[in-house]
Amino acid sequence: MRAILVVLSIVAMPSAMPGQQRWARQVQERAQRAIDAVATSSPRAVVKRSGMLNTDEAASFQTTLVQGTPYAILGVCDDDCSRLQLTLLSPSGSDIAKERNSESFPTLRFTAATTAVYGIRVVMEACRWNPCWYAIAVVPLRKTPS
Amino acid sequence: MDSFLWTLRATEQPVASLKRWGAVGLTACLVLALAYLPPRGAESSGKSPFVGQSLWGTPARQYAQALADEWRKVDATVRLLEDRQRVRRDSLRASPTIVFRGATLPPNSVHNVETVIDSVWRDLGLGETKVRVTLVIELQRPYGSADTPTPLQDRVAYLAPDSTHRTTCLAYLPAGPYWTLVILGKREARHEGFGRFVQWLEAGLGPCAFYAAYGTPGRSVESWLAARHWDVGLYLGSHGIAGERFSSLDLMGNPSSPWYWDGVYSFPPATVACLAGRPSGCRAAVLAGAGEERTIPSPNVVVVERRWWRVQHLLPGERYLGDVARTVGRERFLDFWTSAQPVDTALAAVLKRPVGEWTADWERGFVRPIRLGPMPPLGAAVIALAIALLVLAVVAATASRRQVR
Repeated sequence: MRAILVVLSIVAMPSAMPGQQRWARQVQERAQRAIDAVATSSPRAVVKRSGMLNTDEAASFQTTLVQGTPYAILGVCDDDCSRLQLTLLSPSGSDIAKERNSESFPTLRFTAATTAVYGIRVVMEACRWNPCWYAIAVVPLRKTPS
Repeated sequence: MDSFLWTLRATEQPVASLKRWGAVGLTACLVLALAYLPPRGAESSGKSPFVGQSLWGTPARQYAQALADEWRKVDATVRLLEDRQRVRRDSLRASPTIVFRGATLPPNSVHNVETVIDSVWRDLGLGETKVRVTLVIELQRPYGSADTPTPLQDRVAYLAPDSTHRTTCLAYLPAGPYWTLVILGKREARHEGFGRFVQWLEAGLGPCAFYAAYGTPGRSVESWLAARHWDVGLYLGSHGIAGERFSSLDLMGNPSSPWYWDGVYSFPPATVACLAGRPSGCRAAVLAGAGEERTIPSPNVVVVERRWWRVQHLLPGERYLGDVARTVGRERFLDFWTSAQPVDTALAAVLKRPVGEWTADWERGFVRPIRLGPMPPLGAAVIALAIALLVLAVVAATASRRQVR
């Protein structure tokens, strides 16, 4: 696969997009359902990003993860997308974890060893009707009692 | 005897002056030279001097025209980019947003055009689409000052979606004097044939209609289409591009006219072979540009040539992909459109037939296969045969009467 890295300054998910509302709404709803399904420690700390990509294109963004906090990183995409890849990158840019087996709903779980700015890369591996809308949510989870 | 014959000799006529005839001959040569030789400074087209050739301008004129043409393309690109930034969408409308340039229109004229484009959109089977289309209609304006070249007013241009605007395709459609008057309500459009406003708008959507219907193509298809200036994807509709059955083949003229054959043989050999119904030629004509891996420029502007039908690789190529899509259905066409495989593999897979064979059949739907090679007219052949038979008969008769003594 020849991924084209498109470094986008991804804006926060808008409440309503002019045109193409159907697909934007679809991924917003899916992202919200996914967030609701995991036990978040603080709903307000959830980081959401969304955008659209053509097949084989990629987008990256950065987010700060706090030491010792477990996180779920969720990816969703619209009906025309059949494979979405999610990669967590270290502050130095190397891969920490990659999820490409869950087709259109990749999920990563990660507990940061140090507080730092981590990268998240999303690759649209298969989109039947380009572009495909996607949304990523970084959800802090409740710490399990040890 | 000699003196007798001398008296029978006709009286000698005075001979006209040779100088006068020489002067007449030279004047005729000069007139012919003035009529046929290119003007001073013009370049020969490189063709044989025995073949008629059109006059070329002086190098300075050619340079100025090339520069003006380049300026028009850049100017059109800048205008398209500006329009893309400025355009405000009506989120309730699924059909294309229309922007008029060159004149301020009364509200009822705008409404009329929007009504027509809505019906075009429905006719194409389109509703809410991932890639939205904006149609910029340039109304005819008076020619500008001599300081700058006249802006692009006779060529259609498209700004394809790119990484900064993934969901917008802009079509720039110069209205020209006729459609400007129709849009302004100063003239009634003809309701048949070439004069149908609805077909003009439908054809004007060009590649943007494909972007709207099937989204952004995969890299191999996009590269293939860019290499051939979208000549197989200029028209998504099922009617003719400018009339019910009107296609680029009709622009070639009548097959009985001599310029039809001049036109046919001006196309690449594969295109001519396809017109003759040869699958190998059709395959080569369809896959022209498919082997090139080209980088898609950004901004990705497609400027349609002034005489676009003269540079097609396939006739009537403008509707080829539209016909493929109608034949195989939306789902299978999307398989081709977004495929990562080479174009020939992906196209053959969705057609379920070799590309050349399918295309040769498709071609036969528009034109009876032409006969290639020299073919004398029937009348000339009959006369030539008759002369040959007459000569043979005379020779045979003469030979039969000859006697050796």
